[in-house]
Amino acid sequence: MSLQVFRHWIPTVKDAFDRTLMVAKFFCGLHVTNTFLCTCALAMGPSMLPTLNLTGSLVLVERLSIRFGKMASGEVVLIRSPEEPRKVVIKRIVGVEGDAVGNEEATAVVPKGHIWIEGDNKHNSRDSRQFGPVPYGLLEGRVFWVMWPPEDFGSVGRKVENNSLESSAGCQKT
Amino acid sequence: MSRLFQFVRQWKPIIKEGFSQSFLIAKFLCLLHVTNTHVCTPVLVYGPSMLPTLNLTGDVVLVEHLSQKFGKVGPRHVVVVRSPENPRKTVTKRIVAVEGESVTFLVEPALSDRSHTVVVPRGHVWIQGDNIYSSRDSRQFGPVPYGLILGKAFWRVWPPDGFGSL
Repeated sequence: MSLQVFRHWIPTVKDAFDRTLMVAKFFCGLHVTNTFLCTCALAMGPSMLPTLNLTGSLVLVERLSIRFGKMASGEVVLIRSPEEPRKVVIKRIVGVEGDAVGNEEATAVVPKGHIWIEGDNKHNSRDSRQFGPVPYGLLEGRVFWVMWPPEDFGSVGRKVENNSLESSAGCQKT
Repeated sequence: MSRLFQFVRQWKPIIKEGFSQSFLIAKFLCLLHVTNTHVCTPVLVYGPSMLPTLNLTGDVVLVEHLSQKFGKVGPRHVVVVRSPENPRKTVTKRIVAVEGESVTFLVEPALSDRSHTVVVPRGHVWIQGDNIYSSRDSRQFGPVPYGLILGKAFWRVWPPDGFGSL
């Protein structure tokens, strides 16, 4: 009698299995796209003002540039934090290997295989000025587009947008 | 025009078959890649820096990626690390100290007895090759961020007389 019950459920189980496999294949494809092509990231915090919001910006990150060739100075990148390996931060590359970074008081040369990152908001950013140059291998991707909030929708360029304090409230887009 | 249709009709099943076989191979490679990147992969290591643990001329070791994701990689483990000097290169060394610990090492063991002590900063590890006379490691390029660790080598597959855990 138990065999009858078993035979009754076989098509349902087969169907469930096929659907699960299809969902798994979709997630596999999504994962490969996210890891090697393009992914979204939610950026929060004050360190990249005015380029990115304090309360959260949804950005698109592409992963091809970091593999094929070197990143250039001025790009906004997603990078694994050298202080907290589980955290991923967004900063701007200010110097690549061989560049001299710093101001009149202190200058440093970025060593081979490393990059110097700084947040756009110099007053409230924990970056290479605190933890030194970062190995290139920690780069995760390049931020190239802001999706949200709608007023910031658009590409992320190589230069910091001019935002003079004397102007009226809000960012001025160049 | 009808010749073209005939041609297409002749080739259609072959093209369809070609596509479905390619998809099958692509799906297999996808699964192989995901396993290699996130679970376990074989790696060929060579060079003198890890003698006598690993051979000079090349050993195949199995590297698992799960330990470093869960933060379970620690001292005495042999790890594969992305080189901080050349991001396209991966090196295999042993973790000597983790964040917060202090390391005392010989600066140039072949030339002098001078030693130096360093405290490993937060989020970093100190790696050294077992063959300190011929190894380029944290003694030269400093502590390495934990995020550069790719995986832990736990088993040697080749050569056969070295088969076994590391």
